[in-house]
Amino acid sequence: MADSPALELRGITKRFGALVANNSVDFELKRGEIHALLGENGAGKSTLMNVLYGLHQPDEGQILLDGEPVTIDSPRRAIGLGIGMVHQHFMLVPVMTVAENLVLGAEPRSGLLLDYKGAANRVRELSQQFGLAVDPDAKVEDIGVGTQQRVEILRALFRGAKVLVLDEPTAVLTPQEAQDLFVVLRRLTEQGTSVVFISHKLNEVLDIADRVTVLRRGEKIDTVSTEGATERSLAGLMVGREVLLRVEKPEQTLGEPLLTLEGVSAEDDRGLPAVNDVSLEVRAGEIVGLAGVDANGQSELIEAIMGLRAPTAGTITVDGKDVTHCGPRDTLAAGVSHIAEDRHRRGLVLEFDLAENLCLREYKTPAFSTRGFLSPSKMVTRARKLLKEFDVRGGEPETRAGSLSGGNQQKVVIARELTADPKVIIAAQPTRGLDVGAIEFVHRRLVEERDRGKAVLLVSLELEEVRSLSDRVLVIYEGRIVTELPPESSEEDFGVYMTGGGRDERAA
Amino acid sequence: MSALPDDELPPNMTVASRAAVYLRSGGFVAPLITVLVAFLAGGLVVLATGHNPIETYQAIFKGTGFNWVFPWLSEDDRTIAALALQQTLITTTPLILTGLAVAFAFRCGLFNIGGQGQYIVGSILAVWVGSSFDGMPALLHIVVAILAGILSGAAWAGIAGLLKAVTGTNEVITTIMLNWIAIWVGVWLFGLGGPLQNDDPTRVDVPVSNDVLAGAKLPVFWGDAQLQGLHIGIFIALAALVVFWVLLNRTTLGYEVRAVGFSPDAAEASGINVRRNYILVMAICGAFAGLGGALDVMGWQFRIATNDIPANQLAFFGIAVALLGRNTAIGTLLGALLFAGLINGTSTRNLDPSVFEPQLATNLTYMIQGLVVLLISTDVLVVYLLRLRRRRRTQAVAA
Amino acid sequence: MTPKRVGWAAVALGILAFFVAVPPLTVRSPIVVIVLAALAMAAGSYAVTAGEKRIGWGGIVAGLVGLVGGYAATQSGVANLERVVVWGALGAATLRYATPLIFGAVGGLFSERSGVVNIALEGMMLMGAFFGAWGADMTGSWILGLVIAVVAGSAFAAIHALFAISFRADQIVSGTALNLLAVGITGYLYVQVYGDLGTPDDLPSVPNVSLPIDWLPLFGDVFGDLNLLVWLALAAVLVTWIVVFRTPTGLRLRSAGENPLAAETAGLNVVRTRYYAVMASGGLAALGGAFLSIGFLHTFTQNMTAGRGFIALAALIFGRWKPGLALAATLLFGFGSALASRLPVFSPSGAVLFQALPYVLTLIAVTGLIGRSVPPLALGRPLPRS
Ligand SMILES: Nc1ncnc2c1ncn2[C@@H]1O[C@H](COP(=O)(O)OP(=O)(O)O)[C@@H](O)[C@H]1O
Ligand SMILES: [Mg+2]
Repeated sequence: MADSPALELRGITKRFGALVANNSVDFELKRGEIHALLGENGAGKSTLMNVLYGLHQPDEGQILLDGEPVTIDSPRRAIGLGIGMVHQHFMLVPVMTVAENLVLGAEPRSGLLLDYKGAANRVRELSQQFGLAVDPDAKVEDIGVGTQQRVEILRALFRGAKVLVLDEPTAVLTPQEAQDLFVVLRRLTEQGTSVVFISHKLNEVLDIADRVTVLRRGEKIDTVSTEGATERSLAGLMVGREVLLRVEKPEQTLGEPLLTLEGVSAEDDRGLPAVNDVSLEVRAGEIVGLAGVDANGQSELIEAIMGLRAPTAGTITVDGKDVTHCGPRDTLAAGVSHIAEDRHRRGLVLEFDLAENLCLREYKTPAFSTRGFLSPSKMVTRARKLLKEFDVRGGEPETRAGSLSGGNQQKVVIARELTADPKVIIAAQPTRGLDVGAIEFVHRRLVEERDRGKAVLLVSLELEEVRSLSDRVLVIYEGRIVTELPPESSEEDFGVYMTGGGRDERAA
Repeated sequence: MSALPDDELPPNMTVASRAAVYLRSGGFVAPLITVLVAFLAGGLVVLATGHNPIETYQAIFKGTGFNWVFPWLSEDDRTIAALALQQTLITTTPLILTGLAVAFAFRCGLFNIGGQGQYIVGSILAVWVGSSFDGMPALLHIVVAILAGILSGAAWAGIAGLLKAVTGTNEVITTIMLNWIAIWVGVWLFGLGGPLQNDDPTRVDVPVSNDVLAGAKLPVFWGDAQLQGLHIGIFIALAALVVFWVLLNRTTLGYEVRAVGFSPDAAEASGINVRRNYILVMAICGAFAGLGGALDVMGWQFRIATNDIPANQLAFFGIAVALLGRNTAIGTLLGALLFAGLINGTSTRNLDPSVFEPQLATNLTYMIQGLVVLLISTDVLVVYLLRLRRRRRTQAVAA
Repeated sequence: MTPKRVGWAAVALGILAFFVAVPPLTVRSPIVVIVLAALAMAAGSYAVTAGEKRIGWGGIVAGLVGLVGGYAATQSGVANLERVVVWGALGAATLRYATPLIFGAVGGLFSERSGVVNIALEGMMLMGAFFGAWGADMTGSWILGLVIAVVAGSAFAAIHALFAISFRADQIVSGTALNLLAVGITGYLYVQVYGDLGTPDDLPSVPNVSLPIDWLPLFGDVFGDLNLLVWLALAAVLVTWIVVFRTPTGLRLRSAGENPLAAETAGLNVVRTRYYAVMASGGLAALGGAFLSIGFLHTFTQNMTAGRGFIALAALIFGRWKPGLALAATLLFGFGSALASRLPVFSPSGAVLFQALPYVLTLIAVTGLIGRSVPPLALGRPLPRS
């Protein structure tokens, strides 16, 4: 028994409808090791660990703890078996205090009542024992994400976790906080805890993990030791052979600035500053890429441009027209097209048919309505033409948008946005979740638009995409444009700026 | 954990898209099954309390007057059936309208529980206009009274729309509150000493409004006007159904409404003014319900007594009508006919008391109505059937 | 003085403006009333401008109400006033009118704090009213009557739980359905069991609790002879507060209503928690109904709750989902009803308008003009499916 691994997953398969999120995945965690789970967004990392934590039931496969097969049908069971998990999106109750959150589910009592003092003391003890500073009486909604993460880790430890799963823990941390976290994790493993560390960042994985298991599209590709592994070798495993084709870009002919932002600031939904004093310019005939790690103000910036979020400062100009205080309708009318970051939320009305979706921008124009009355036949005729032109497969004008595949949905969005003949195109994560064919299509269309003298602002979390498409790249970090780089710059250069310049330079 | 994992329904789904899913997957069949189950359950209650369910339902059916369409009916039976059917169609009129008031809101992702208040306000204004302005030309008087009902209903519901648009207040709460405010305002207006209590010296002790003047009464075109024949309001209600359908499916406003209903975020991103839609939609809903109230007082009630105000359940039937009809025009019509039939078939006037006590039957109607809404609230059946079908399909693929 | 204090002073002044004009003080000069009310409104406005919106507006409203009420009182006959404003009787009546609302509101609190919208309070209350009367009649014991009412209310609430939680139905729709269903079920059974005669006259009823405090001025009149259920209602508020805010169970309950996924990942069973909460809700609301039928009116009539469930819901929202504030709201609404029942001396029709007061106040409260009522974050949202 002593040599059996702390945890073993055998042949885990998990399907969501037709989608296979995990396909017969094996995974092994040795006692006291930090084992990274590496893969691109959507590779199935979270799903695999949610299966382990009892949040999903696997369709096939087996879980062994210390060599014993176990069934985990709920988080309660998982906790009982000594598994703790810190989720990608924190699982805390905002209106409650740190102490209340921490003891939730295993509360100290005095008589029938909750022993709040006892709980707070327990938090202090744990906090000292593991060197994770938290204030037990602070409300979770008032503390920063870094602290929230510490609360989550403490909670897992409080519940006696021997196996600790961290799902993309560094996504929300500053580089310094990430380093602190790594120190804590190392200390934990010394005390016998085993850690699964989920990430899609190569350098981190090399930094902290003993071994790495790489997932790609739900399949386990390989498990390797970080000893001797390089970023390049891991990237190869992670991305596979389907490397993005280099996009052919003709020489550019630069024109007038079409989109200009000067000193734009905006707040997020909670009223905290999200975009700080952003100035940028996109000229006719160029693609400007905006590179950055998730949640560094990109969404808020796009919303501010589109009139979906009121900027708190600055001006936004489209082809000389001030649209700073315009709502979405006027912004669109000023000649902006928007390929929305989340096509299900903002890009399409999923319950509408394609003809209706293709008219979302223009249903009020004389082409499709007279005096407030729609002309469905005209909508259908136009839709038929566009669906053919943009090669939307499996879609008739009467097809419900929600029933199309992701790639074809995106083609519908692009068809609508590009036929509006815009001056400016805001493309936010335009290829998220698409297959290679569709990605290529999107990239080609964007470059074509650039060559036709449009100004394209490309916002993407995929650095590779930004680099291969853009003529210039701006890097955004914590809501600020921290630098402009030529797209040919090395991944390392980008990485430094995207993480606030605080990353330690292993390469050196 | 839960009995029915419904992966068909994404989280945060709006009521509108939810209804669309059900409509797509269940079509006509699911509402039909729902009604059958509700009637079956009602029958069991009848059976359990020592009555014969089959005879009871037969008597209720006779009370609806729907048997009027049977060609084999004897002359006498047909006369009786005609009387009953006139009643049923009189009730169908406001049910269509209160149904539309719910359905239209649903299509915009709003839940209008305020049909009752809007109906009351509409009827109050209509009865006031209809009982005042003696000497106005008849047609004009009717039009003005109806308009008063429509506009006041629209304004009343518009409050909820406005609050939703400006402060984001949940329309469910506000419309419930507005219902009760309307009720008490009505009771106050027509109550003893109230500003609109009748000015007939022989009825000073009666808390009731003035009567609608002859010139403002809607003409009766089928049956005896003295015996509550069928007034032309039913055509206005049918016209409202057409308006509803055209508005929703053939106008830019309807396009916006449906877009907002399915996805407020996508609608906003494509330049639709979501708030304006909320206000407009609620106002239109109120217009439908207010029209219903106006038609009722001008078509057959002719006055409002304070006791009738809180007792009126028509607007709640409207919820059942709209939900059962899946918020479509044709569905609302069928739902209204069903419930109007049920209401009249179980009324003291139409149900044969030797078979089943009407007081019991009236409550049976409420029960069936509640069951219908309850079953529809989740469409357990639909989701179940859907899953069954899909499972069969995936198995077929696997094989 | 902090703006907050000023705001509270404004509220007090507003109340005082009314209070001086009625017995026992019965100041006859409207000037006094006007001055006090004006002071209240001025202080309220100051508080609002200084940032204390909620209390400030409360002060302005209190001033306005004090002005209208106080002025009206100075203009009416002393004899009438003394017949209407008998504080002891008013206080006792307030508690009586508030009792069903209190049960309803704390019942609703359990359900809504756990994340399940409960607009079916009205129906649950109605079930309690019928089954309380029926149970008491059948068993000849009011205690068993109450027990049966609670069981019926909980069982009925379990239907709401089944649909809202397990079937993930739209909670508003299923709640509406239950309200309709309750009218049908109770009405049907009532007609079936009691026919035209109605409930018997000798229906066992919940006794009053006589306290030997007659000699205490005011208190003796208010608290000396209250129904047992009134005391139970007050106790229910305290118990609810302790359970929801001071016990592990309450912590779990609230976490289910604020962030069910977090509760689930902390190893809790959100579904079960919500089931219990909703059923507790039904039992409590049913007690409120039973008070109506066998504590207060000593009979059952069809649809006798007449919107009290909705007022209870309104009080809950008005009281920001907190037991103490909800109690205050029910007392305010109860006071309105108590006053209304005595006002016909002046104007029978005007008294009716008082009935609309709770709804108007709640309408204003929920719009957020006077501060915002923040519901539990996950209210109305089913647990995300895995
Ligand atoms: N609850 C769910 N229902 C349907 N699909 C899901 C669900 N959770 C995840 N997926 C899908 O499964 C795939 C893997 O997701 P995930 O495990 O979150 O990826 P990762 O964590 O590696 O980024 C994605 O395509 C995602 O859209
Ligand atoms: Mg993930």
